[in-house]
Parts: sequence; structure tokens; C-alpha cells
Amino acid sequence: MRSTLPYDPRSAVFRGTSWVERLGRRTLATLSETGALFGTLKDALASDLSPGAAAKRLVHGIMLTQVMFTGVQALSLVSAIGLLIGASIIIQTNMMMPADGELIGRVLVAVVLRELAPLITAIVVAGRSGTAIATELGNMKVNSEVLALSSLGIDPLRYVVLPRMVGCVVSVVALMIYFSIVSLSAAFAIGILASGASLSSFQQGVAGSVMPHDLALFFAKGLGLGTIVGWLSCHFGLQVKSSPTEVPQQASRAVVMSLLGCVVYNTALTAGFYWLVGPPLPGP
Amino acid sequence: MKDGLWLEDVSFKYGDLWVLRETELHVPPGRTLIVTGDNGVGKSTLLYVCAGLLNASGGHVWLDGHLAAAKKPSELMRQGVRRGFLFGQGGLLSNLSALANVTLALRYHADLFGMDDEDLNLRAREALAQLRVGQNDFHALPAHLSLGVRKRVALARALALNPNFVFLDDPDGGLDSATRHLVYERLERFRDDSSITVMVATNSRQLIDRLGIQPMELAHGYLLPEDPNRRSMRA
Repeated sequence: MRSTLPYDPRSAVFRGTSWVERLGRRTLATLSETGALFGTLKDALASDLSPGAAAKRLVHGIMLTQVMFTGVQALSLVSAIGLLIGASIIIQTNMMMPADGELIGRVLVAVVLRELAPLITAIVVAGRSGTAIATELGNMKVNSEVLALSSLGIDPLRYVVLPRMVGCVVSVVALMIYFSIVSLSAAFAIGILASGASLSSFQQGVAGSVMPHDLALFFAKGLGLGTIVGWLSCHFGLQVKSSPTEVPQQASRAVVMSLLGCVVYNTALTAGFYWLVGPPLPGP
Repeated sequence: MKDGLWLEDVSFKYGDLWVLRETELHVPPGRTLIVTGDNGVGKSTLLYVCAGLLNASGGHVWLDGHLAAAKKPSELMRQGVRRGFLFGQGGLLSNLSALANVTLALRYHADLFGMDDEDLNLRAREALAQLRVGQNDFHALPAHLSLGVRKRVALARALALNPNFVFLDDPDGGLDSATRHLVYERLERFRDDSSITVMVATNSRQLIDRLGIQPMELAHGYLLPEDPNRRSMRA
């Protein structure tokens, strides 16, 4: 009698796939994927040490183009988001502590500089440029462009991955600084107008809260988050094999994994950093 | 010294599908190898393996004594192995113009070739002119070029590198008669050049007759002299 099941339960294949075997297979696949993921990062960074002054010049040119696409072209979006976030924070804070400019300044440092500027900038770059990078690289794979580069003696990791990664790092750090300036300026302006607090009290609050080690944390977040976005976007873009239908799948995977990676990294760095150096806010 | 193209006990498979099984092959420098075979049998994959673009599942591929599957493609170039590869659809970089596609590798290896901007532009323009690519197409993106022009630009890109290995995947596929004959002329020159080892994957009877070389057939993972009976069936 013909079975209505899509598989034959008596077949050797079905009998062979016990949960232990499936678990083993999945573990091996995960290990292999993780190895490939870190292999991309290691090989891309190492490729900058490869010989070839002409190649270096060419790659630096692509890095600048990437900074233009990822950083400069995102300025208007980051301005709008920074402005609105600064405004919404000050509205909330002002409702809880009206006319306390110093305290509002301290809250802004804690929320905007330490947490939101790095994270929101990375999210904007992942959503805007991460998708573009993964899609571009996926299409390059489909059109045999990556193989063509190899055939021409051009290292794909050096020519394709490294400049995009560096472009993302430079852009994220620059956009974080820009976001902080826009957001704090908007908060100051609205705070003075809404609560009547003085500019000097805001400045006192900000200056009193920013500590030297905040700068280290700020740049550690920028470098790490930029690397995560550039690296994962390139890696998943290059995972496309030969079918155009894989391109949107991998692009989506690249963005999801980048966002997840950024949130995990940001939280881990904040927790680890303050565990090491102690609480950032001195008592009132 | 393993001059030319050497396959030493080379195997390749996709999942459970064997493309090549424990194959030994030597194509001496200056010789041309034509590979035929049914659609989907793995002719393109064989070219990729021989050119070192895909790693073999087993065995070694040597190009002029250097392992083809070098970790970094630029290493092979620095060792003097210059590969020209014509992909089925051209394989041009879609964000670069025709001229920029041809100058790309020259620019990347400018210090190796000892060329400045002027030299490499001149060489690229000469290569494009040899393939009769019109000046109007020099600055066009590949998406704006016909398949025939894309293939000629890709050939010019291979030619500009002054290659010692040329791999051609279905070089006359989808071309009109005039472009096909232009490509044949170029392939005849590759064939007659004693410094270039050529490998062609094709089922085009016209091309095989024009080059006048007995092809090898790829079937079930084995590379064997083509059976004339199967040849007539395919024709």
C-alpha cells in the first residue's frame, strides 16, 4: 500500500536520524558556521597586512567611498533621530524633575552619551548600510563577481570586506559623536524653553557627570559596534551561494544578527565596564 | 617542476554528486584543452577547480608548479601565475564601467607590473580595441551592455593581464555570428601562443572544429577522450 506520509518511517534514513544524531549534526553545523564567521573577521583584518602598495591605495579609496555612503549620507537621518530623542528625553525628565538643570544634564549623560548614542547609531547604520552591504555582496556572489575577483588575483576579503568594515567603524564612531551633539543641543534648547532652567546648570550637570573613563567606553562601543555591523553584513552577504532568492534571506539575516550582536555587545560592555571601574554617577 | 596545468588525483563533489573522481591530467604549457559534456555535468565547476577558484575535495591542482588553491589569490599573481577567466555571463563587476573592469586588476597589481596610471589605461584601451569594443561603451556599466559586448569586455580584461593561463566557460554561448567569429579569432590566437595554456568548456561544434582540437568529455566524474558517436548525437 502506498504511504501517505511524505517519508517512509521504515527507511534507513529515518531510522538513522535519532535525536542524538540530529543534535550532533546541528552542533557540528553551528561550530562550522561560527568558525566561518570568525574566519571572515580574522582574514579580512589580516588582509591589510598583505603586500602590495597599489592594492592598499585602491582599497583606501574604497574605504573613503564607503564612509561617504555609510556616514555622510546618513547625517540627515541621524540628525532627525538625535533631535527627536533628545527632545523626548528632556520632556520625560522635565516632568519628573522640573527646573533641575543639573540633574537633567546628568540624566542626559547617562542615557544619551553612554547608551543611546552608540546603540541608536549602530541600529541606523545596520538598517541602512548593513542591508545595502549584504545585498550588494550577495548579488556579487550570484553574478560570479567574487570568483572573477579571485581569478584576477584580487583578494576578495581585502577588496570587498575590509573597506566596508573599516567604513562602518569610521562612520559609526563619527555618527555617534554627531548624534550626541545634536541630541544634547536639542535637549538643552527644549529644556531651557520648557523648564526655565539655566544653560549653566545643564552644563554643570553634564560636565560633572562625564568622567575620563566615559571617553574610553564611548570609543570602545563605537569601534565594537561598527565592526559588528560591517563584519556581519559582509559575512552574511558572502554566504549567498548562487541563487538570487538567497539574497534577501541573507540580507535579512545580516541585519537581524547585526542588531542582536550590537545589543548584546552594548549591554555586555556597559555591565563589564562599570563592574571594573565602579559606578559612574557620584552621589548628589 | 609541474609546468602547465596539472591535476593530481583530483576529486570534486557537490554533496553526493561527483563532478570529478580521482583525475590525473596534464596540459603542458602552450597547449589547449577542450572539455565537452552534457548540461549540468560540471564543466564550469571543472574550470573553477582547475583555475583554483574552488578548492578540490581531494587531490591537488598545480599551475606552473604552484598550488592553484592558494589561500590568497594575489599570492598566485605574485608567483607569476596570471589567470584570465571568461565566465559564462562575463562576470564583470557591475558597479564598474567597462574600462574600469579592464583596468581593475592592473591597478590592484600596478606595483607588480611596474605600471603607472597612464600605462594601465593605455593597455586597457588597447585590449578593448583588440576585441572591437566601441569607445562609446568604455564608460558604460555592464548592465547597459549587450551580452556580446560584455563577453568581449571580459575577454579584454583577461587579455590585458597578459595571462599564462586562460579558462573559457562557454565562450561563444548566446553570441551573434559576427561576435562569435571575433571571439573565435581571439581564441585561435590564444591556441597558437606557446606561452598560454588554455582550457575551454563548450559544447559548440563550430568552436571545436574551428580550434581543430580533439576534445575530452566529462561524464559521471570522469574526463575521457570524447566518443565520436556521442558527439554526433549531441550535435
